[in-house]
Amino acid sequence: MPTLYQMIRFIIRRLIITVFLLIVVSMITFAIFFLIPRLAGQNSYQLASQYVGRNPTPAAIHAIEQKLGFNEPLAVQYGRFAKGIVLGAHYNAGPDKTYCPPPCFGYSFRNQQPVWPMMLSDIPVTASLAFGAACLWLVGGTAIGVLSALRRGSVFDRAAMGIALAGVSLPIFFTGLIALELFSFRWPIFPDLQFVPLTENPYLWARNLVLPWTTLAFLYAALYARLTRAGMLETMGEDYIRTARAKGLPERNVIVKHGLRAALTPIVTIFGLDLGLLLGGAVLTEFTFSLHGLGLFTVLAIQNSDLPQILGVVMLTAFFVVIANLIVDILYAVVDPRVRY
Amino acid sequence: MNRRSIIPLAAAGAVAALGLAACGSAVKTATPSQVAYNAGNTSVVNPSAHKGGTITFNNSSVPDSTDPGNTYYAHMWNMARLYGRSLMTFKSCPGKCGLQLVPDLASARGQVSADGLTWTYHIKPNIRFEDGTKVTTTDIKYAVERTYAKDVLPNGPSYFALLLTDSKYPGPYKDKTPGKLGLKSVDTPNATTIVFHLQKPFADFDYVVSLPQTVPVPQAKDKGANYQLHPVSTGPYKFQNYTLDKQFTLVRNTEWDPATDRNRKQLADKIVVNLNVNADTIDNNLIHNFAHIDMAGTGVQAAARAQVLSSASLRKNADAAPSGFLWFTYINSKVKPLDNVHCRRAVEYAADKVAYQTAYGGPIAGGSIASTVLPPNIVGHQKFDLYGATTKPHGDVAKAEQELAACGQPNGFATNMAFRSDRPKEKAASTAMQQALSEAGIKVTLQGYTSGKYFTNFAGVPTFVHQHDLGLSIGGWAADWPDGYGFLYYLTAGDAIAPAGNTNIGELDDPKVNNLFAKAVATTDAGARNQIWPQIDRQVMSQAVIMPGVYAKSLLYRNPNVTNVFVHLYYGMYDYAALGRK
Repeated sequence: MPTLYQMIRFIIRRLIITVFLLIVVSMITFAIFFLIPRLAGQNSYQLASQYVGRNPTPAAIHAIEQKLGFNEPLAVQYGRFAKGIVLGAHYNAGPDKTYCPPPCFGYSFRNQQPVWPMMLSDIPVTASLAFGAACLWLVGGTAIGVLSALRRGSVFDRAAMGIALAGVSLPIFFTGLIALELFSFRWPIFPDLQFVPLTENPYLWARNLVLPWTTLAFLYAALYARLTRAGMLETMGEDYIRTARAKGLPERNVIVKHGLRAALTPIVTIFGLDLGLLLGGAVLTEFTFSLHGLGLFTVLAIQNSDLPQILGVVMLTAFFVVIANLIVDILYAVVDPRVRY
Repeated sequence: MNRRSIIPLAAAGAVAALGLAACGSAVKTATPSQVAYNAGNTSVVNPSAHKGGTITFNNSSVPDSTDPGNTYYAHMWNMARLYGRSLMTFKSCPGKCGLQLVPDLASARGQVSADGLTWTYHIKPNIRFEDGTKVTTTDIKYAVERTYAKDVLPNGPSYFALLLTDSKYPGPYKDKTPGKLGLKSVDTPNATTIVFHLQKPFADFDYVVSLPQTVPVPQAKDKGANYQLHPVSTGPYKFQNYTLDKQFTLVRNTEWDPATDRNRKQLADKIVVNLNVNADTIDNNLIHNFAHIDMAGTGVQAAARAQVLSSASLRKNADAAPSGFLWFTYINSKVKPLDNVHCRRAVEYAADKVAYQTAYGGPIAGGSIASTVLPPNIVGHQKFDLYGATTKPHGDVAKAEQELAACGQPNGFATNMAFRSDRPKEKAASTAMQQALSEAGIKVTLQGYTSGKYFTNFAGVPTFVHQHDLGLSIGGWAADWPDGYGFLYYLTAGDAIAPAGNTNIGELDDPKVNNLFAKAVATTDAGARNQIWPQIDRQVMSQAVIMPGVYAKSLLYRNPNVTNVFVHLYYGMYDYAALGRK
């Protein structure tokens, strides 16, 4: 096991790398949405005209061009964006100035509101969905994978792997709509699904998330079951498992402490990535179940070509993925004693 | 309502023309036994004065803004009447009666000066905001001033800046005048009178002041871009809360006086609007009574459409409502060889209108085949058919070949066609055009562009159109107000051609059309003015810069638990200000 000092040093080093990584991600994203259109011949007047109503006057387009800063050099625009993330920013909302606290990702071109507070209000929805589904798929997927591996070739194994194959193959907008049709409309066990905050009503929070959780978990559990099964089959054939059994350890200890623990390393790796990505928005699930999380926020941002919103979501997703990977790296030490930092 | 004795000819003529055409008889109502398919198009379904309950709206997207001064969505113009009253409005009744313009805050139609440059309105004296403060014409002037502040409120129409004398006014947020009421083109001599000064005569000005941009805004409560979170109400409902992009709730406005307002009801206790709901879920919610109205008002999705039309019990609760939209193809008059009118006419003849209609959903959910630019719900529409759209709806290849010969292209020609690639119906319509035109030897290459940049970067930029030989472009249009000017001007007037965001994509700059527009806006007699619109329509069709496709319809589902339901022809959806709950 690494020492505490080694662990802290490792975390600090990774956090510094994370900051640089996020700067690079922000620059690349900014370039994709602001530089490439310019290279393709789009001028700032055309860009501004996307964000004014039908048949605008040239004066109206110029007003938007100035307000959103499209007529300034790209470096200045990026500098303002980066400054907002670190220090926050003030925006002209008419008679008053609106303050957008750090990390301010800009000012929505569409609804004239600072992006970060809007994203902040969507995070609880996405987090509720992602963590709930993650618990289900992690427990369910690994349990099914372990049982399938231990009963290799049995009816259970074949059925579980068949269902897993279906889970991996069927898209969420299909399974989600089927689930809604059956359990929300035909047999209204979960009627009128709307997100209710956990702090407001824990029962309704859970009840209204059961279908999205199970739909999302069905997809991921299938993948995890297959991964766990493959890992367990390999591990349970190792010499040290035979040695553990020869020493007279109870079978449960052999499976859990020696077999499963070794098989978990790849599971933990992929879990970190999956959870990080989902925290950035479970787009299809949120869209299917009309959950107002970061996924639906992303859809709306893309539909409206709302560049600050898109930038904000990309940055936040990158942050979640990087942090989730950091946690995974730390967990390696718990799962695998051979790990050194 | 007191009608003032000095009513100008324009107003009298318009009232007569519209009133006679539209409201010759009392409003029809459908008793429960008469609830039937399409009943909501012509009658009030489930008429009731019952008060109470909650009406739940679902919307698959979000409003551009709930601020009446900053919205350009038809469903928001409809919804905004629940919490805002403009100077004029459209009568609340089914059928063509709904196209009748009536005073709202105003006590009568506008009085126009002899030179047509000054319009004066008097408002009813006892209208109050939700906080009990009296509405004055200063609040209306301030609302008009806000429409100039495009850097803060970019979404709404720009008619005031285009029509009024003070076109350089910077908007109230940059106004240095004490009191920030420096717009010189609008006078408020007293609390109940407001006077608009125009650059040139504009006979449709009553329509302009019916836009939600004349809904009064108390200056002290204006929060600019954030005003959308709680617009101060003058209508039957007021905002209780609004979580942006998620949900807003309206509750009764106790300061609203029904005696001053014949065009709205206050039946339900509460109105809840859920935003960003999956479109298929909305249809299921309507059918299973988890929601009452689809706020967007554009009709059910393909899955529900099949379900509704195949079930007698569901079908009787549906209306194929005229949406007011025309789906069509622009034919550019500057791209060779379509700069020759005979080549353009060849396209008109060769197009298969039935295939076009099928692409948009067929005769029920898509609409009926169009032969004119003006749809039937527009004042001034006259039926005519220059290219056999209704008599030879599959296309007339022989006539097309004759026109090609006259154009000097007897073997056909090649051109490109733009469509919005994220709109499956437009893609299908483009493919239908491609196939039909190939029969006459016209080779069409399809070019898809994203809808968000369609007008700003591609089809709406003439230089791009010329450089990329975009001879044809798919389009769709609905009027800001239901007369010939409201529908035709931005599609066909030479002045409307813009370097970006252009909507006259055919680039028609025809002196005859331009002169007819100039004549119409100076004609204060509504009857005479309404005779000009079909002349413009006919001239545009003879120049063949637009191939009309479909007078659009939307298949709306009418939740049987909602009362006083009918299609308002101006909005092309149910009248949201009339609804109640069983």
